Amino acid sequence: MTRRTLIGLALAAGALLVTSKVRAADTPPSHDQMVELLKQVDDRQRNNGDWRAGAYIEQKEKDKVDVVYETLYFRRSQDQKFMILFTKPKSSAGQGYLRIDQNLWFYDPSVGKWERRTERERIGGTNSRRSDFDESRLAEEYAPTFEGEEKLGSHTAFKLMLKGKPGLDLAFPMIRIWIDKDTHNVLKRQEYALSGRLLRTSYYPRWKKVFSESKHGEVWYPEEIRFYDEVEKANSTLILIRAVDLHPLEANLFTKAWLESKSR
Amino acid sequence: MSKFLVDLNIALRSLIQHSRRALFLGSAIGSVTALLILLVGLSTGIRETMIDTATTLSSGHLNVGGFYKVTAGQAAPVVTDYQRVLEVVKQSLPEMAFAVERGRGWAKIVSDTGSMQLGVTGIDIQQEPRFPSVLQISSGKLADLAEPGTILIFENQAEKLNVKVGDALTISAPTTRGSNNTIDVRVVAIARGIGLLSSWNSFVPMASLRALYQLNQTSTGVIQVMLRDQFVPRIPELAARLRIDLEKGGFRLLTPDPRAFWFKFQSVAREDWTGQKLDVTSWEDELSFMMWTLQALNGLSFILVVILIAIVIIGIMNTMWIAIRERTREIGTLRAIGMQRTGVLWMFLLESMLLGLFGTVAGAALGLAVATGLNALHIHVPISVQFFLMSDHLHLAVHPGAIIFAVVLITFITGIAAIYPALRAARLKPVTAMQHFG
Repeated sequence: MTRRTLIGLALAAGALLVTSKVRAADTPPSHDQMVELLKQVDDRQRNNGDWRAGAYIEQKEKDKVDVVYETLYFRRSQDQKFMILFTKPKSSAGQGYLRIDQNLWFYDPSVGKWERRTERERIGGTNSRRSDFDESRLAEEYAPTFEGEEKLGSHTAFKLMLKGKPGLDLAFPMIRIWIDKDTHNVLKRQEYALSGRLLRTSYYPRWKKVFSESKHGEVWYPEEIRFYDEVEKANSTLILIRAVDLHPLEANLFTKAWLESKSR
Repeated sequence: MSKFLVDLNIALRSLIQHSRRALFLGSAIGSVTALLILLVGLSTGIRETMIDTATTLSSGHLNVGGFYKVTAGQAAPVVTDYQRVLEVVKQSLPEMAFAVERGRGWAKIVSDTGSMQLGVTGIDIQQEPRFPSVLQISSGKLADLAEPGTILIFENQAEKLNVKVGDALTISAPTTRGSNNTIDVRVVAIARGIGLLSSWNSFVPMASLRALYQLNQTSTGVIQVMLRDQFVPRIPELAARLRIDLEKGGFRLLTPDPRAFWFKFQSVAREDWTGQKLDVTSWEDELSFMMWTLQALNGLSFILVVILIAIVIIGIMNTMWIAIRERTREIGTLRAIGMQRTGVLWMFLLESMLLGLFGTVAGAALGLAVATGLNALHIHVPISVQFFLMSDHLHLAVHPGAIIFAVVLITFITGIAAIYPALRAARLKPVTAMQHFG
């Protein structure tokens, strides 16, 4: 890691970490209002169609060489299909994840086998989860509790504690989330285990929008996400999302055969 | 009868007359008896703890497990159509107290900081009344194990995986068809370690194990049969009967192999058959990998007891020599007034056996008191000892049978030890004996 990158990282994290005094809302929003807020957060990121983008994933681990993955990922809103294909480095090229019928499958061309994984799976061994690349479904998956308003740098944010609804396969059962009061973009998340242990802190410093024909409106996506491992403190993951394309995808794309064909 | 009472009276009076010597020898005999009782109590205590813990955690008195092979090279520890198997078991074993079904698995358990390979046992906690009595839960609630997607682990595992109650774990294992499957579980209870069995075992609800291995409701891992107490010593006979009845019921059986099921994966996978084969094992088979601890303890106890008995024999013979030397004139007088040689022999034998009886009874009382005291103290044993003991405290099981055995054995040995000196005494000529000045 270069010195410039280090300084850049420190500045970016510092800007988000600087928290001014907590200003309690005069009247806390009702449960319905909070659910409505989550629906708005979800709706801003929903495409109502197909999605294709590239993701650059950089993983930093203590006493290890930094690893960089380049991936392509695809999703289809209507049936919640999802797929990630690793394209670089060479050792990981052809590996991929496919989500069909609520099941997440991992394919490794070196052994030619499919393995069923859960939403807790660390994508490519990094600190990212499949849901980090997917459309937001907070209102559907979590029940919110209001924790006040808080300043995150220059942004004023609603701070909510979200608890996972029972019976769902979720990457994290509890999330503390900071939602920008003005834009309703997510600024920060702290993800917890049910025991209350903080597992990961996520920052969303840059949001970008694209026009979606299928939605007939704008779709917002985080152009950059930073994950800080709270268990192994020195580990972190950076995700940069590029080349978003919302044109319809091939009908047979979300199949095991398609993913297998990419490594032949 | 009256003659015997007279002899007994003489022997008793003689012991009282030589009370110092009798007390000294009686104490030695008593100490050996007490030690024998304590050693047998320790060995029996360990064995009983092992049976109790093992038959609750990982085995029944008898087990009907087996392997299912989709292809010749893959073996999964699964019993298909287990209700039909259970029917045969019920008919074959009227000695059965109850039976439970358990899932068997071996999987990779992954936490946020590490991973380890562990045995995963599927359990229906509501159907297992003895389970809570064996485990000591250090955090969480055992009852929560009734919820699907939960897990019970032991303290050493929680430490290695760096998890506490409420944290999530991912379990990954190959299904019967060879493809890897994964489930997420929440730690609901962490139990104190109970030795070897807790170092490699964990428990999940049966539904979660079925989800992991993609098993249907008619399949399970093993049927664990618990027998009524009085039938436990007859396990080999009952196992043989059950094997015959299962074969008559149309089930194929593996060749009897007295090892734990997870030792058999490779040998079963090498065999050229597919489908289901059942395996009938006893708790000793399933714990064969740790029975050596008990055998080693028994061996050590045996050597100690032999050494102690040898010391007692030498002590008795020596004391009898001294007694005969001191009482040579008395022997001569008795012979002169008409006592036969057999009478002299009998007199010394009776005296020594009476001494043995008093000594062993006192020793047995002492041994029983020490064992009861040690049990009442609940002595905590070091972790390294817990590993083999499968309990966190020392337990000595002293049964009436063991006490009677110790008393009879040591008294008998005391009598045997006195034969040669008594024979020498009986051979003395009355005239020579009466002229003796000792």
